[in-house]
Amino acid sequence: MSGIIEVKQLTKKFRLKKSNGGIKSVFRPEYKTVTAVDRISFEIGRGERVAFIGPNGAGKSTTIKMLSSILYPTSGTALVKGLVPWENRRKVARDIGTVFGQRSQLWYNLPVQDSFALMGKIYDLEEVAFKRRLSRLVRLFAIRDLLSSPTRALSLGQRMRCEIVASLLHKPQILFLDEPTIGLDVTAKEIIRDLVKKQALEEETTLLLTSHDTDDMEKVCNRVIVINKGRIIFDDSLNRLKESYLNKKYIEITTDSGEKVRQVVNTKETPVRKALDELVKKYHVADLTVENPPMEEIIKEIYGRD
Amino acid sequence: MADKFLNALKLFLYIQKSNIKTAFLSKADAAVNVIMMMVNNFSFIFMWWVIFENKGSVNGWNFGDMALLFGVMNNAFATFALFVRGVQQLPEFIDNGNLDNFLVSPRNSLFMVSVSESTFANWGDYLTGFLMFFISGHVSVENFFLFLLASLFAFIIMYALRVILSALAFWAADSQRLGDNIFMAFLTFSSQPASIFTGWYKVMFLTVIPAGFVSLYPVELIKEHSWSALAAMALGSTIFFILAVKIYLSGLKRYSSGNRFGVR
Repeated sequence: MSGIIEVKQLTKKFRLKKSNGGIKSVFRPEYKTVTAVDRISFEIGRGERVAFIGPNGAGKSTTIKMLSSILYPTSGTALVKGLVPWENRRKVARDIGTVFGQRSQLWYNLPVQDSFALMGKIYDLEEVAFKRRLSRLVRLFAIRDLLSSPTRALSLGQRMRCEIVASLLHKPQILFLDEPTIGLDVTAKEIIRDLVKKQALEEETTLLLTSHDTDDMEKVCNRVIVINKGRIIFDDSLNRLKESYLNKKYIEITTDSGEKVRQVVNTKETPVRKALDELVKKYHVADLTVENPPMEEIIKEIYGRD
Repeated sequence: MADKFLNALKLFLYIQKSNIKTAFLSKADAAVNVIMMMVNNFSFIFMWWVIFENKGSVNGWNFGDMALLFGVMNNAFATFALFVRGVQQLPEFIDNGNLDNFLVSPRNSLFMVSVSESTFANWGDYLTGFLMFFISGHVSVENFFLFLLASLFAFIIMYALRVILSALAFWAADSQRLGDNIFMAFLTFSSQPASIFTGWYKVMFLTVIPAGFVSLYPVELIKEHSWSALAAMALGSTIFFILAVKIYLSGLKRYSSGNRFGVR
């Protein structure tokens, strides 16, 4: 193996306490074992932008947490830049950046610029290089106006831009993004996707992005790994996935009278534009949305073809 | 090694600067909190002063001995609360998964957790601590250094015990209250004249709840220049510290990184 990330037969099991609510379970607890990640293997090369997608509880975050040295695996191995992450936590940390959509690495009460300065000290960055780096990222992510605001005063979208800047300050070669667009509105999602991709292309950063939003994958990544129930069920280029599975669009229109009409379009047979033209001719359209099929459906289809 | 230490020290000082900056966002608040902490300390000390005024001594201890004990205790607690209080939050970080942020840092995660919280009001404990030493009747340059040394060892014991209690959450998610109660018992017993604990109580206060290292040996060391007391404190704090780090590291292997956010 020679990738920047190498994973072989990686497995993580959690032991969970079963509780039936009775007093007996307090004194004689019973446990059940849940396999979150089940013998997965893959390799990621430098500069690849990989979407790690699957429904809730599929094992995406658990895998990222093992690769970023947060969790110890139950069995199997992984190498990040040639090092076993959970055995070389501090060394690996200098080469990786992490963004967890559900939690913040910024200091809640401090102005954003103070959080960045603190990150600079934590990563032991040389003063001049740090300032140059920060200035570049501030420009790229358009956060100059946010620097003096405390984290608590930021909107979710603003915070996420600052989180990504914080994770890039030490110029990591690998960036792990765990649900970076969770909870964001459509505009904020678009901004985050554009910025992440631009940054990754400019510095040849390897990306591993988890999401259950197929748009994240389409807009940012060039390779897709689909995981379900802890197992990898698809690992190929985005183009291949698009050809095979992402050929449906869901169009929903609301008419002037408030009626909702939903239509599924097979883009291999009918271009979206043609389908929209027909709908507009047929109805008095007040509003319309075009969406990808939900992740669950894609996975069902992948399973079906397997 | 020296480089690593200096580097950690630089980061430590920078974090403390940030903590002070945050506390000084409201200077009046900060000053009132420090003064109130001292008032709180002195109301407790006043109670003991009344007891000693009426009884003369408690099992051979006089008010000067108690002042030394309060001095050491206040200094140790001030150091804990000002610089490493974050370790008290460890059970919460384990429970809600926020420990993740510390584990992806290129620094020692226990160090980062510990310095993540500070309570500015506890500068009042330092002021109380040094004042107690100066009214204890044992003032000399040599004693002052022994007082500082005793405060340092007492702090290490206090910190190590808190790490052990907090790390229990790696094994039992609901251990936070138990840990808090044992730590509170440790603080309470550390503020009593050590002479009242003998026999099995003494064994317990040097092992399970190591309050004896704070209440017994420091006073012996400063008053009698007892080198065996110094050796006991050095050995006790080293053993407890190593044990604490080992338990923490072993707990990390069990960490499951929860995803709790915004739930009851």
